[in-house]
Amino acid sequence: MAISIPSLFKKETVSDGGKLMAGQRRFAYASLIPILLYLGLFTVFPILFAFVMSFFSYTPIREGSGFLSLGGANPFIGFGNYIELFTGTSKPAEVFRLAVKNTFLFTALVLPLNLAITLPLAVILESVGERFKTFFRAIYFLPTISSSVALVTIWAYIYAPGWGLLSLIFKGIGLVPPKSWLQDPNTVYFGVPLAMICVVVAHVWQEFGYNLVIFVAALQGIPKTLREAARVDGANVWQEFWLVVVPLLRRTVLLTSVLTVISSLQVFTIFQLLTRGGPKNQTQTMLLSIYENAFRFTNALGLASAMSMILFIILLTLTVLQFRILRTEWEY
Amino acid sequence: MHTEKKTPFWIVGKSGAYAILIVGLIGTLLPFFYIIVSSLKTDAELRKTPPDFFSKEPTLSHYITILTDENIPIARNVLNSAVVALARVVITLFTSSFAGYIFAKYHFKGKNLAFGAILIQIMIPLQVVLIPNYLLVVKLGLIDSLWALIAPSMVDAFGIFLMKQFIESLPAELMDAARIDGASEFGIYWRIVLPQMGPPLASLGIFTFMFTWNDYLWPLIVLTTPEKRTIPLLLVWYNTQHTSNQGLVLAASILTLLPIFFVYIFLQRWIVDQATQSAFK
Repeated sequence: MAISIPSLFKKETVSDGGKLMAGQRRFAYASLIPILLYLGLFTVFPILFAFVMSFFSYTPIREGSGFLSLGGANPFIGFGNYIELFTGTSKPAEVFRLAVKNTFLFTALVLPLNLAITLPLAVILESVGERFKTFFRAIYFLPTISSSVALVTIWAYIYAPGWGLLSLIFKGIGLVPPKSWLQDPNTVYFGVPLAMICVVVAHVWQEFGYNLVIFVAALQGIPKTLREAARVDGANVWQEFWLVVVPLLRRTVLLTSVLTVISSLQVFTIFQLLTRGGPKNQTQTMLLSIYENAFRFTNALGLASAMSMILFIILLTLTVLQFRILRTEWEY
Repeated sequence: MHTEKKTPFWIVGKSGAYAILIVGLIGTLLPFFYIIVSSLKTDAELRKTPPDFFSKEPTLSHYITILTDENIPIARNVLNSAVVALARVVITLFTSSFAGYIFAKYHFKGKNLAFGAILIQIMIPLQVVLIPNYLLVVKLGLIDSLWALIAPSMVDAFGIFLMKQFIESLPAELMDAARIDGASEFGIYWRIVLPQMGPPLASLGIFTFMFTWNDYLWPLIVLTTPEKRTIPLLLVWYNTQHTSNQGLVLAASILTLLPIFFVYIFLQRWIVDQATQSAFK
């Protein structure tokens, strides 16, 4: 009997919608509050603190007097860091301006190369049998799941001067390989340093699997009838690709491009380990500058925070763009 | 495609398609393959110019040297990577599924606001908050400990988003029935909802594991003691110690890649699915 009493009681509360809903609401609030507090500490506070710090000359070694060591020995300098970064003649500022240029150059090279490989490859992959498709897709995705640190070691060996794999291939097909792939600042093609080209190739090799699987999935979502109709109307493979597939994939291509740009702007490992930003800062990037100024050389956290905020504004703009594309309704 | 006739044109097209796919395959695998065969060469063969592609007397000596090197706490570093990755997987799966459940199945004031607040995380990549996160970890006394890798990554907004979408598709009747039977709200999540979430949890979990296992920049900033290092940090340090011995460097890279390859062979479908979903949200 004792058991039936609580169950009866519960049944009553079920009929009493108001009470039940109140209980559920309490549960929902009690569950979410810790999560929101956590995000407050590890997401909202850091970005606000980075913003504030970017207006201070801040070094953690100096004990500042004010709140969070701000002020006193870590004085407020207004837009000082930003002015220094944009117009200053100090070494970090000059390197950072180069880094901004390089980061955009890298992104501008990665995006078209990536799309030129992944889009046609996805269309071809879509056209073969299911078992082959799964197999090829799994292989192409292999570099993306690999440790980028290990991949850098691999590429360092491939780009090794003289006897590296790439030099051997060049000699094998009768070309003269450059003396050095990664360290010669004077080899420049169409305004792009050779070292940068090498990093772009290695990076695209590592990351193309992502966009490939996304495009394959998107292609599977295109109604077969549309492509068949084009073929019945006499379109060849080329026309089918440009006039049917590409327009239908427009939203996916746009979205993938934005995601590729966002991730390219934040590449770190390959720049830090393969070229170390060199030769002559030709592969120095924004994130590498942030890392070096904050943690390696100078502990100039205020200056590095200003760099972070500049990178953040760029990324935020792109993320907003990404959300807008996602929200748009598209129909085939 | 079943409607197509196997005309000569079709056959040429098909062979061309496979030819391109195989070229891509070679391009993808050649770097791995070259490093594996090179890591099996003797030191004399590695120094030879021009080098032979294959070793005439392949040896595992570089692998044995690394695995038996008493100067590197390799077992400890593997354990560090495993502990951090597993901890982050368990915590992320719990917070994502639990918060996803709340957002999917409860109605309360401020829900959209709370969800929007969580999505802010997607807009703030970790790379732009390295400095404040570092100071925060120092203030919390977590610097140079494995907690520094776990504490800032316990909630994953994207994971919450995915789990919410999945749970929304579960029938509400199940939960109401459990409620009538006297289940607590948490009990409904734990015993009714969670057991049905195998596939999305597996995808998110495997992805989180691999991401954490390969993570480099953040561990580089917060860990300094050799015993605290994770595998990528060990590899970088090891390589700087043996720049003149290519065989050891190459074998160490292959050893770093192997565990993930092993996981990938069995779970590739889920991994690729998760990667695809992460673009579409």
